[in-house]
Parts: sequence; C-alpha cells; structure tokens
Amino acid sequence: MGKDRYRRQILVKEVGQKGQKTLASKHAILIGGGGLGSNSANLLVRMGIGHIDIIDYDTIDKTNLHRTSVFSEQDIGKNKALVLEKRLQSVNTDVQVKGINKKVTSKNIESLIHNADVIIDGTDNIPLRLLINEKAIKHKIPWVYAGVYETVGMVMAILPKKTACFHCITPTIPAPKTTEIPVLGSLPATIAAIQCNEVIKILLGKQPAGLLIYDVWNQCFDILDIKRNPCCPICGKK
Amino acid sequence: MKIIVKVFGRYKDISGKETIQLDIIDGNTLQDVINAFVKQYPALQKDKNRIMVTKNKMFASFDTIVTQEDEITLSPPVVSGG
Repeated sequence: MGKDRYRRQILVKEVGQKGQKTLASKHAILIGGGGLGSNSANLLVRMGIGHIDIIDYDTIDKTNLHRTSVFSEQDIGKNKALVLEKRLQSVNTDVQVKGINKKVTSKNIESLIHNADVIIDGTDNIPLRLLINEKAIKHKIPWVYAGVYETVGMVMAILPKKTACFHCITPTIPAPKTTEIPVLGSLPATIAAIQCNEVIKILLGKQPAGLLIYDVWNQCFDILDIKRNPCCPICGKK
Repeated sequence: MKIIVKVFGRYKDISGKETIQLDIIDGNTLQDVINAFVKQYPALQKDKNRIMVTKNKMFASFDTIVTQEDEITLSPPVVSGG
C-alpha cells in the first residue's frame, strides 16, 4: 500500500514524510488490550507505527463491548491480544502487529519491554502502572499513562529523568477498588486518542504536554504542568 | 490564613471558578487546605481522602506545610480504570 495510505497524515506539518518514516521505524509495546488498549492499538496501527506488541492475558467479555474497539460478539471468550493482532494486522499489512497472551509480572516485564521505543498504558490497575513506571525509568523507555473513571480521563507522558514520573504523583493514589469501575462507553476512545497523540509526539521527538485531565461530560480540559519530585524514589535526582 | 488555590477538572465546574480563596482557620498543611475546600464544597466530601494536590507544581502529601506564597492546585483523584 506504501505511502499513499498515509497521504493525508503526511500533509500534517507536524508529521510530514520524515515523521511518517520515523513512525514506521518505531516499536511500541501496549500493555493491556481493553477499553483504552483496543482503541489505542486501533489508532496506532492505522497511523503507521512500524511494530506494535499488544500484551493481555484476559479474554473478551460481553461487558467489554460497550467501551472497546475492534471486538465483536463473536469474539467473546477469546484472548484480547490475539484478537487485536488478527483484526488489526488485516487493517494494515505495512506494520507488524503481535499479540502476546501473557500476564505482565515483575518476573517477565523486562523481557517484554526491552525492545520498546515507547510503552503505552492500557492497564486497569495502579500496582501494574507502578511496575511499568519503575522498569521504564530503569531502562530509560518513555511511556504514556492513561486512566479512565466515570466520565473523566487522564493522560501523562513520562520521559525518564526529564518529566515527572508516575510515582511522583502517587502520594495521593487511592487504595485499589474492589468493585467494578464505572466508565462511560465513549470515554476510553476519547482518552486513547489523546494518549496516542502523546505517543506520536514522543516518537517524533516532540515535547509532551504534562498531566492532561479531560472531563468529557462537562467538556472541561486541563493541562497540569508537573515537575519531577527530587525526592521521588524512582526518578528523583541522584 | 487566606490561601488561593487553582482547581481543575470537575472541581472547576462545581466551584464555578478556576481559582478559589479558602480560609484556613487552624493549621497550615495541605490537609487543612483540603478540609477547608471540602467544607466550602460539601459535594466533594467523597473525594476528601483522594484529591490530587500539588504545591509549587509538585505532588505533595497531605501533611506538607503551606504558606500564602505557595501555588496550590486541587484536582480530581488519579484514575485507574482502563
């Protein structure tokens, strides 16, 4: 299909021919293929990231369909990562899409992320995000946090040793929830799109925006400029 | 002490403002700022232990001391869903 596929994107001055070629050379690791992850994977494959690994051990449930992309009723019971691989590979044969049916743990994360130019958060819990953060900072891999709750989403791109990291903002992280998290169906798609824009900016060497908060119900968008915490045990100045 | 805070997200919607003035009667910590904020906007009581607070552009724990010269922001809690 070649360059013609991205013709309209190449016209965007922030990307251009050079940027599109850069995206084609990059390797993204997406951890989590649910509400956020399925939407992010869908966008990034279409936008032409050269290589995307999608990691998720979970299977598709009927209750996922209202807020995910790509999946359909016939996929219920199947592994999320493998369905995303199959569907998205057929969307864009110019890129490599690899689904990995695994649970990310402290034992295997470093082997899973070591080739990454960027890590994309599609997870649904804080402990896993803290693990990603720790390893991403250790290996100097940028990553982009995203989260959703009811009608509010957040995104923060993290450049190791340059921006605040996820641990910098954890002094007030809540205890894990034991009940289902309420999520408006359109929210993950909206936040994943914002997240993907930060991913693209990282891959093209542009400055990310800070902590983005978007309340889609009240249409209220904020950007917080957050500094690195010099006392942060993960990324603090040493 | 009177302290000016900047609010984000739905806190702007609830307060109707981007910056608000809070009267801290006793104490001088971020916890006292949050207590005053929640007292002024009782609808946010359920967020009380989870509000994201920054002091001079850095996230800070609730026992952090504040002065009138500090730049304080209050935002809804970090969200964890995916």
